Amino acid sequence: MAAIKPPPLPAILHANALRGGEVVYFGASGWTTQLDEALVARDAATLARLETVRDARATEREVVDPALVGVALDREGRIIPGHYRERIRALGPTVRADLGPQAEGKHRHVSV
Amino acid sequence: MYRYDEFDEAIVRDRIAQFRAQVARRLDGSLSEEEFVLIRQMNGLYLQLHAYMLRVAIPYGTLNSRQARQLALIAERYDRGYGHFTTRQNIQFNWPRLIDVPEILELLADVQMHCIQTSGNCIRNVTADHLAGAAADEIEDPRPTAELIRQWSTLHPEFSYLPRKFKIAVSGAVQDRAVLAIHDIGVQIVYDEDRGGIGYRISVGGGMGRTPMLAKVIRDFLPKEELLSYLEAILRAYNLAGRRDNKHKARIKILIHEIGIDAFRERVERIFARLDRSAIEVDAAERARIAAYFAPPPFADLPAASAVLEEARRRDSALDAFARTNIIRHRHPAYAALTVSTKPIGGVPGDVTAAQLRVLADLAETYSFDELRIAHTQNVVLPHVRLDDVPAVWARLVEAGLATANAGLVTDIIACPGMDYCKLATARSIPIAQAISERFADPARAAEIGPVGIKISGCINACGHHHVGNIGILGLERQGIENYQITIGGDATELAALGERIGPGVDAEAVPEVIERILATYLAERAPGETFADTVRRIGIEPFRPALAAPKEAVREAA
Repeated sequence: MAAIKPPPLPAILHANALRGGEVVYFGASGWTTQLDEALVARDAATLARLETVRDARATEREVVDPALVGVALDREGRIIPGHYRERIRALGPTVRADLGPQAEGKHRHVSV
Repeated sequence: MYRYDEFDEAIVRDRIAQFRAQVARRLDGSLSEEEFVLIRQMNGLYLQLHAYMLRVAIPYGTLNSRQARQLALIAERYDRGYGHFTTRQNIQFNWPRLIDVPEILELLADVQMHCIQTSGNCIRNVTADHLAGAAADEIEDPRPTAELIRQWSTLHPEFSYLPRKFKIAVSGAVQDRAVLAIHDIGVQIVYDEDRGGIGYRISVGGGMGRTPMLAKVIRDFLPKEELLSYLEAILRAYNLAGRRDNKHKARIKILIHEIGIDAFRERVERIFARLDRSAIEVDAAERARIAAYFAPPPFADLPAASAVLEEARRRDSALDAFARTNIIRHRHPAYAALTVSTKPIGGVPGDVTAAQLRVLADLAETYSFDELRIAHTQNVVLPHVRLDDVPAVWARLVEAGLATANAGLVTDIIACPGMDYCKLATARSIPIAQAISERFADPARAAEIGPVGIKISGCINACGHHHVGNIGILGLERQGIENYQITIGGDATELAALGERIGPGVDAEAVPEVIERILATYLAERAPGETFADTVRRIGIEPFRPALAAPKEAVREAA
């Protein structure tokens, strides 16, 4: 596989769940739909760990298209995806507030 | 309407069984994603931003009530209660789970539908004029031709791994409502008495995307009985020489652009001359058999004018407005084709709920010989409604939120799903459509502006047809912010043209104001009777460039 440029730190690992397709994040106890449970890489060592997870055969059994993405942390330390694309993914379609994670009240601290 | 025969049924059921096993092997880890992705794409299943997306083929945009009800059932049981009509006359479900897809495919097969060849580098679902069999300007119904092409192209072994996707559209009318010029192959039914009557004008090499090109005529008259051989020759010439080293240069339009239409035609004709046509073509009896499925329905012999409709229009100004914009003249004078707009003010273009699908099914069954059409404009058409029945149909559409009187007007906007759903998108499309729609919500103002096609794509792939929009909007990213380029002068009719950029891109908030200024320029410049497209053809795009000047300030002033 061609080398993928690492994202700027801090970064998280996200993907879509294989069975259901929902957006998931890699956290301390495996894949989760909660952005605030994502494991945040703030240093090269943690980033390398996330890269290992991304490329692992076991990961492929659970998720599709795992990718590292840059995030910011707000004053309360909450994770905010860096790119508007990933912020939309964290919330759901901006034209349908009744769908996606936003419909369950998730990730309210994120705005597109 | 065409019915699958046992052969089609067996193909579709076998394919589902195969896919069910492939899904199981993906879930148990014996197939990698790299291996599986090609398989799922061949069955119409994509992975988008928030979820999987399943694209269901609606051959030549024709649906019956049973099919529409089944789509409603799938939307409710396996999705989030709605579907999305696309610019390729298909329907997409935005939230299916992978583990449910085999069941969804079985439900589709129960009503003779499937997702085969709605993705991947193959001949995609064949599209056609949505007014087939209804249009007053029709030379011949394009559906028997489209159906013949569908049968020929389904699982065609030679053309299952083309360099890139391949789209064929068919029109049988004088007016082009199928946008033939943006297809890899456009099949135009023509009549030429000196050359044996009805035949085809074949164009080739059209496409949108980052390198938009209009198709060029490769044969100005092809006898009917040579169609499949000629298509086969085109596809073979492309399959042999089309580039496979660069995805962005792999479409047939690039090959034709590189070698020239004359050189390409020579290759095609050389292959065509050597083909064993008897092994490819179907005989006249088979063509007649297919055509019989599309025979005109038993239209009632009624007077051309409807006193019932005229009286109802006098009584109700909303019905009158609907009749003025959404009634299309029918080949039978006592009937109309009705455009059912999926673009309510501020709505999501192309989205319909399960409940709306059921209303459409009921209306088709009761009032339109059980037929619905999906247009590339993302609207629905009831193709054969008695003029006398229009008030009753309209009343049901009003109840269902489907009676917006804006067909062909400024708020009848084509928009791709954009970054609200799509993994390839660089910017959002739908909120831009909504903002423009709200800005021009006043029906009197929309009527004053008249016909104009605004088309929005959220990336360079151009699913929203922005290149052929009278006003085209392309969403890109600039320095981490959504940015929109505006083009003018595109045309999606038989006068097909590609739009030209009028200047640098603008921020999302500025787009409605820019559109406002463009339309103000048109209103100031137009000659009596001119549409927006007419005026642009006459005066060019230069007068529209100032519309981009300092749009942000203008937005602030207006706020």
